[in-house]
Amino acid sequence: MSNALWLAMLATALGTLLMRLLPLLWMRRRLARLDGDDDGLDAMPQWLGILGPLMIAAVLGVSLVPTTADATSWLATAIGVAATLAVWWKLRSLGWPVAAGVAAYGVVMLLG
Amino acid sequence: MSQASQTLPRPWLTGLREAIPLLGGYVPVAISFGLIATQAGFSAWEAVLISTLLYAGAAQFLFVGMVAAGSPLWLVVGMTLLINLRHVVYAPNIAPWLTTSRWWPWLMHGLTDQIFALAHSRLPQMPADRRLGWFTGAALLAWFSWIGGTALGAVAGEELTRRWPLLGEVMPFAMPALFLVLLAPRFTSRRWSLALFSSIAIALLLNVFGLTNAAIPLAAICGAACFYLVRSGTTARGDRNE
Repeated sequence: MSNALWLAMLATALGTLLMRLLPLLWMRRRLARLDGDDDGLDAMPQWLGILGPLMIAAVLGVSLVPTTADATSWLATAIGVAATLAVWWKLRSLGWPVAAGVAAYGVVMLLG
Repeated sequence: MSQASQTLPRPWLTGLREAIPLLGGYVPVAISFGLIATQAGFSAWEAVLISTLLYAGAAQFLFVGMVAAGSPLWLVVGMTLLINLRHVVYAPNIAPWLTTSRWWPWLMHGLTDQIFALAHSRLPQMPADRRLGWFTGAALLAWFSWIGGTALGAVAGEELTRRWPLLGEVMPFAMPALFLVLLAPRFTSRRWSLALFSSIAIALLLNVFGLTNAAIPLAAICGAACFYLVRSGTTARGDRNE
């Protein structure tokens, strides 16, 4: 990589780190200022508290699209989602529903 | 430390264990990145360094792709940062559950979409004295798997994808399965269900139509609009949804 490219990469890396880090410092200061008046959740702006879970929902939506978007992959996705939710409904745990979902998805892909 | 905490496994081990499903998504994608980066003219160690320092999936692919296409570097930096802009809402969302430790700001390097999703669900459920260890274990496992996957892809990516093509297609399903499990308990009211469903559907559609990079922020904003619209609608009718 050329020097200019190194600089570009470092600037991008630093910018990304600051985008993850500075909002934490801002929120910590806000929490400290409101300490005693509010609990942590009340100190968070309402729109921010709503956006958090919706960001996760959006990441889920993006990740649901299979690598190869053919009929088999979509069927496998639907069955994988159903298996994940069924096991989650029964066990309310984190690991087993994921394992069941991947297994169901894999079986459909193998048979398809 | 409470007696209940003492009987639990070490927090960083719990974090490691709970982040394992992320590997199913991280490793295959990191292998692809390593492969694409070397094909674009980067050396293996340059690809690994990008994954170590930048550590942002979509942004890394864009960075390498734009550099390979000969785009001006200011544009490469600008576009890559624009894609990562969604990260600004992550840390404030988990801040109420973070302790006063000085390690937290440095650990934010590991606050990816997936670690945020995991932390946002798990941190509120655990005692304060376990949170730092838990986050460190989960974030480090994800980071190292991303770096390791990149190295593997840069060195042997072509061979791996030729030998086990199906594995690379099946394992990434661990990501949506994990997000599904994290989100399922949040469908607590009609209002939240509508907002979450619209975010999922819009992100999925945008990704299908090739707008992958814009999908996350746009879908989240649409979901938020839905959330507020439902409130306005029910306020007008005098109903309650929650």
